[in-house]
Amino acid sequence: MEPTYRSRGINFCWRLRYLFSKPKRHDVVVVRFAGTKVMLLKRVVGLEGERVEFRDGKLFVNGSPLEEPYVRHPCNWNLSPRIVDNNCVYVVGDNRSMPIENHYFGQASLGRIIGGLLW
Amino acid sequence: MVKMKYLIIALLIVMVGILATLLFFPSEEKKVKKRFAHLSEHMSKDLGENTFIMANKIKRISALFGENCNFTVSDYSLSGNYTREEISGIALRGRAHFSTLGLKFYDLKVSFPEKDLAQVNLTARLTGKSVYGEHVDETRELICLLKKIEKKWLFSSFEVIEVLKR
Repeated sequence: MEPTYRSRGINFCWRLRYLFSKPKRHDVVVVRFAGTKVMLLKRVVGLEGERVEFRDGKLFVNGSPLEEPYVRHPCNWNLSPRIVDNNCVYVVGDNRSMPIENHYFGQASLGRIIGGLLW
Repeated sequence: MVKMKYLIIALLIVMVGILATLLFFPSEEKKVKKRFAHLSEHMSKDLGENTFIMANKIKRISALFGENCNFTVSDYSLSGNYTREEISGIALRGRAHFSTLGLKFYDLKVSFPEKDLAQVNLTARLTGKSVYGEHVDETRELICLLKKIEKKWLFSSFEVIEVLKR
C-alpha cells in the first residue's frame, strides 16, 4: 500500500466501520488473508456487478478509466475484464511497482473484510 | 492423622493416573495436531542437508499420507489427485529447490464432521531460501482433511483458500 501506508508498519483497524454499510470505492480496507492474524491492507476499486480490467497499467471500471491519485508508481499491468461477484469487492494495493504476478489483488468476499482503517 | 495420610496418597495416585492418561492416551484432536507437527518437522530443511537425512525425511513425509491425496491450489498447476509415491516425488523435487526450508502451521481448528474423518482449518507459512538465493515467505489459509486408517490419521486432502480471486 506504499506510499499511502508504510509496508510492515503499524496501523489500527476500525472493525465496526462496515457493520451497517458496505465498503465504497477508494476505501482502504483490512482483508483477513489467513487465520486470525494475517491481514492485508487493500483499496477497494470495484463493487459487485462491475467490470474491472487493467490496460497498460491503467485501471478501468465498466469500461471507464478510474482516477487513482494515490497510485504513484506507474505499471504496465494487463488483466482481461472480469465481473465482480455478488457480496464481493475488487481490491488492489496502491503500490503497483512490481510485476502483476507478484502482487496480491483480486476479488474478496465481504466476509473477509474485517474493517476499515483508522490511521 | 493416619486417615489424612491415606487420603493424600490416594489423591496423589489419582493425579498421577490423570496425568498418565493425558500423556499416554492423547485425544483425537491432539493426535491430528501431532500429524501437522510431524509434517512441519519432516518438510523443514537445513543448509547442507545430507542425502541420508533427505531420504529419511521423504520416507517419513510419505508415511503421513493416505494412499491418495487431493490437492486444490488455484495459483499453481499442482492441483490434482496424487498417490503416496507421487507425493514423495513432489516433496523431493520441491525440497530440492530450496537450500533452507521451513513449514509452520498456526491457528489449527480441528473438527470431526464424520467418524474417522478430521477437518482442520489452519494457516500455513512457508519460509526459506531457494538454491538461486531468492528468499521465500508465503502464508496461506488451508483446509485439510485427514482420514483415520488403521488407527493412524493420514492426510487425504489439502485445499488452499483463495481469498483474492483475480
